[in-house]
Amino acid sequence: MGLFLSIKTDVIIIGGGATGCGIARDLALRGVPHQLVERGDFASGATGACHGLLHSGGRYAVKDPDAARECIIENAILRRIARKCVEPTGGLFVRLPGDSKRYRDEFMASCSAAGIETSVLSPSKALDLVPSLNPTLEEAISVPDCSIDPFRLCMLNAYTSRHRGGGILTHHEVVEIIQEKGRCVGIKARERLTSQIKEIRGRVIINATGAWGDKVARLAGTSVPMSLSKGSLIITNHRLTNMVINRLRPPSDGDIIVPNEAVCLAGTTSIPVPDPNALEIDPAEVDIVATQAEQMIPAFGTTRLIRAYTGVRPLLKPASPSGDGRSISRGFQVIDHGNGMFSILGGKLTTYRLMAEKMVDVVMAHFGIKAACRTAELPLEGQDELSGYPLSKRLSSMDDIVCECELVARHTVEHAINTMGTQYVGDIQHRTRLGMGPCQGGFCTYRALGIMQDLGRVSPEVSITILKEFLQRRFKGIRPALWGDQLREEQLIESIYLGILNMGSRP
Amino acid sequence: MTFEHCMRCTLCVENCPIYKVEPRFPGPKQSGPDAQRFRLDGEKSVDEWVKYCCQCRRCQVSCPYGVDVAEIILKAQLKYGSEHLSPATAHLFANAYHFNKLGSTLAPLANKAKAWPVTKGVLNLFGVSRELDLPEFRFVNMERGRRRKGKGRKVVFFHGCHLGFNRPDIGRKVRDLLVSMGCRVVIPTQTCCGLPALGNGDLDIAKRFAQKNAAVLTKYINRGFDVVYACTSCGLTLMQDYAGILDVPGGRKIAENTYNVYEYLLPQMHLETQGGMLGRLESKIAYHIPCHLRALGIGYPAAKIFEMIEGLTCHVLDDNCCGLAGTYGFKKRYQDASRRLGVIAAAPLRDLGADAVVSDCGACRMQLEHFSGLPALDPVEIIIEAITQKDFGRDVPAKGWKRLLNYVT
Amino acid sequence: MSESLYDVVIIGGGMSGLMAGIYLAGKGFKTAIISRGDPVCCLSTGCIDLLDAGVRPLEAIVDLPDGHPYRLVGKKGIDAALKVFRDIMAFCPIPYVGSARHNREILTPIGTFKTTCLVPRTMEASQGCRDEYLHVISFAGIRDFYPSYITSKLPNTGFSLYDAGVSSTLAIATRFEEAGFVDEFCTWLSSLEIPPGRVALPAVLGLVNPMAVMEEISGRIGRDVFEIPTLPPSIPGLRLFRTLKKSFQDRGGDVFWGKPISSVETRGNVVEAVTLAASGRPSRVQGRAFILATGSFVSGGLYAARDAVSETVFGLPVEVPGARKDWFLNDFFTHGHPIEGSGIEVDASFRPRRNELENLFVCGSILAGSEIMKHHCGHGLALATGLKAAISCERALP
Repeated sequence: MGLFLSIKTDVIIIGGGATGCGIARDLALRGVPHQLVERGDFASGATGACHGLLHSGGRYAVKDPDAARECIIENAILRRIARKCVEPTGGLFVRLPGDSKRYRDEFMASCSAAGIETSVLSPSKALDLVPSLNPTLEEAISVPDCSIDPFRLCMLNAYTSRHRGGGILTHHEVVEIIQEKGRCVGIKARERLTSQIKEIRGRVIINATGAWGDKVARLAGTSVPMSLSKGSLIITNHRLTNMVINRLRPPSDGDIIVPNEAVCLAGTTSIPVPDPNALEIDPAEVDIVATQAEQMIPAFGTTRLIRAYTGVRPLLKPASPSGDGRSISRGFQVIDHGNGMFSILGGKLTTYRLMAEKMVDVVMAHFGIKAACRTAELPLEGQDELSGYPLSKRLSSMDDIVCECELVARHTVEHAINTMGTQYVGDIQHRTRLGMGPCQGGFCTYRALGIMQDLGRVSPEVSITILKEFLQRRFKGIRPALWGDQLREEQLIESIYLGILNMGSRP
Repeated sequence: MTFEHCMRCTLCVENCPIYKVEPRFPGPKQSGPDAQRFRLDGEKSVDEWVKYCCQCRRCQVSCPYGVDVAEIILKAQLKYGSEHLSPATAHLFANAYHFNKLGSTLAPLANKAKAWPVTKGVLNLFGVSRELDLPEFRFVNMERGRRRKGKGRKVVFFHGCHLGFNRPDIGRKVRDLLVSMGCRVVIPTQTCCGLPALGNGDLDIAKRFAQKNAAVLTKYINRGFDVVYACTSCGLTLMQDYAGILDVPGGRKIAENTYNVYEYLLPQMHLETQGGMLGRLESKIAYHIPCHLRALGIGYPAAKIFEMIEGLTCHVLDDNCCGLAGTYGFKKRYQDASRRLGVIAAAPLRDLGADAVVSDCGACRMQLEHFSGLPALDPVEIIIEAITQKDFGRDVPAKGWKRLLNYVT
Repeated sequence: MSESLYDVVIIGGGMSGLMAGIYLAGKGFKTAIISRGDPVCCLSTGCIDLLDAGVRPLEAIVDLPDGHPYRLVGKKGIDAALKVFRDIMAFCPIPYVGSARHNREILTPIGTFKTTCLVPRTMEASQGCRDEYLHVISFAGIRDFYPSYITSKLPNTGFSLYDAGVSSTLAIATRFEEAGFVDEFCTWLSSLEIPPGRVALPAVLGLVNPMAVMEEISGRIGRDVFEIPTLPPSIPGLRLFRTLKKSFQDRGGDVFWGKPISSVETRGNVVEAVTLAASGRPSRVQGRAFILATGSFVSGGLYAARDAVSETVFGLPVEVPGARKDWFLNDFFTHGHPIEGSGIEVDASFRPRRNELENLFVCGSILAGSEIMKHHCGHGLALATGLKAAISCERALP
């Protein structure tokens, strides 16, 4: 237990995912003092473990028209305000031989009802747009799907908060919710590396912790009805498509492929899990997703996968429990626990802004303040270096590259370290994309830690511990997708750490 | 898509000559497979540094995973070249053939003129290095001395620019060797193989050259001729690029029917040597393997012929690029890198105490002669010498190197 | 189709293939090595790891599992192989020191010590360096070498940074071979005030003749100097490979580099030829005997598809440790991921056991049960099995 530090604010937000960061931005724009607390880095829960798809709503059009309508409205807003982290790729729903034509008709009608613009493309037109598509496709329907970078999205939202009086604490885990006279009046949060405890007092606490919502609610002596479903995704070595590709059939495993930065993400599975921290991936899940994606883009059968990852969807518990997480509404809900704590549950990345708006509206009503939401009009401010497109711009200089997969230069890494003063190598990775390429940090994390040592941010002893932790975590994601080229490279990396550097241990 | 097989092992980096001496070049791994993930269709290229690659292709030969490193870089160089205004030097060297032709026609004058300070000054303005002498032009070039008839295999000799314009004496020796082995040799009208244009980022000119040659060569191949080359860079272009990046009609067929001259003659020489075709040659040579011979993947056939020559000690050196790389080292921008590589490649030649350096490539010979101070010879010069020795009779004591040099010059 | 005929054709130009090639070419056999690319020994520390099991590795061979290739070679064979290797290197610019009887330790860039057996002379003084003051020299901008890792782990150490004007290990090594640079460097080094003891540098002391560079530095400052192996690209690995390749070529061996094998021809129980896919025209290489030395997964001798492991040249049956989910342990750092045991089983003459081919011999890390990472036995195993397979091959050739 370290030193006590105390902070006073109006609103305490727990959770630094898209929702939490969105709430922080919204509060900042409405002039309400707030403090966000996140136990890891931004987007370290479901936000960072999703497809990175800015839905057009097409995926939900048939089953969940309300969600679809929300999506298309938010899609248009984000394409306008979040240009720095949205790549307007466009998306296709492809119908393969054997896929129901009736579903297709239903899909078209539902999209039209929800206000989602579609157009039907012949196979040859679709193949012109995306040459890697399965050439036997029957047709493709274009929708305004986009690719969105969840890390950048969170950071840009947080930027506004930071520059308008908000406070942001990452790597702080809430260990206690302080209650006085039956009301929540503050929290105690522990810094990860130093174990230092900070006490934050506020008038209202917002629980925006997604899949951890119930765990946090229980700290305040209450609970929220949640149903957790794990979705696993795979990452390819490089882009196989420049457009989002969906399968034109009722939602199922492995039916979405999204280009993101230099890679493609494909997923997901949907498996009920009891605990949001249970994030093991079964190699069989990888096979399921790869096999399904292969039907839309045959190259998935042979291409190199660099890793798998999994996230837990924070779904609202349905009235009648049914097996599949996908049949549960993707809508969201604000719960007033009546003790000064509010929880916001459900929803999805695409509607994060709307969720934040509704949440803040409730808080405003609670405070009795009248201030309109402005998050839909103002573009995300700040940090132009976070704008990632076009990809090729990263090739303009190759001086002193530290991460050779994602072409991150030493000065970029130093800048990230200096501006954040961070001790966490993961923070550098999220902000610079260091270690996000095919070797998954196998070569460059060692370097990044060396640079942190040079800059006096970490001691060599600590950095070896961090390196070991990192390699262990990294291996967890790589292991389920290890075969072919990636297995070769992994053995090479193993020979560096266990051979040349002799960091291994005997069983 | 071969870039996805990259293991980031850095074997290509270990083999890259430029990376060792030119900090502005990020190395083959970063220029090739690493960068390729970010080169999307439809985005304009900004990777100007890609031009520092000299296309020696050692990276590609060293890659155990089948990544076409050099080809990825070449494509990026060509894309960059097509989207940006190229410097004057690139135009000059892409069209080297035409200048050679002019130089050869005006040989005596041109040779004088190229040594004039004013010429050097003008060329320097265009980005040509003052450091190296441009090769001599010969008036009696290959085109003017074509066609010899034998009775055996039918051969089209592709001599390329260097043997055509600058060293027709070597060209004629190759022809004579083929004829002496019973080949019926035809030397058709031919133009530059296209490699200098490729190396200077001009795909269109390269294609134009290649198409002209392909039309001629295909005609002969259809009549049962084999194509034979002596310049290993021309050879690599014919074997790999005509059917590959240049995609000329008949490219596949040309690759299937084209041979390195020593590869072509080796089996027959093997037989004839047993009959005592080659004489004794008391000498020690350092055989510098041109990068493009390595890239051809046919082994080192001339070295196998040297092994048959009694008294000849041949040291094969294949770890260094000479640094000249065709037209690369003639450019001011690259002259420092080129010079340092030349010094590195020349050092082991001198350390060996060799009488001469031998190489299949005209550029390698110029560079190594310059930096080692040793005479630089083409393999054919050694072989012809050994044959001539034999003609003088086995018992005539070889006078060693001096005699050979007399013969050569 | 180009044709060539050899007594022995070795597939794979790594440590084991080169060892076999040097032995056979030295015995006068017409030998060729076919290699798709450069071997991974170019990425290694350049040291010969024999077996990470105490100070007397040869004595520990009997403790290895029955199926381990070392058990097939035997103590004597291993000892002999390392002697042969040392003799080869003795005539090259980079002599090696040590013997199979004793292990030694070298310092790694992260400040740990690593057990190995034979080392290039440039790393000789690494042994025992913790007993006196150690000064580490690094180079400005170098990407994979952070001396603070070492100084934090070893109490009696310090470091200084030299600006060589270039920052990649290869560029610095090249500078060390250029006129005047060693002198400049030594002048700077002499000007430093450092306590008495040894000096260590990352392994960048030249590509061709590091001994000369090291001796000059050591002479000028009057201290023991040694190299610390680096992460790839590895200059000691590159030197080792080039020296062995040259030894093979000097013995009359031929190399075919950079082209994959597209097909193999067998008749009955005999391998007759392999065909190399070259641009245009394939070349067919015939041999009276063949040695398979293509290495394990990293080298490309084995390939793991999503659900099966195959041998990439002959399609030999491969021993595999179960289904994909069992290939790796959960813990990255635990030695001995089961996949490492996969490979080709051989008999006492190093012919594949589950296959009838009588003129095919197998050596190196492709052998089943070798578990190189677990035992730290890579180069030792390559040399020992390479020599053993070559001797078997020699006996089999009429």
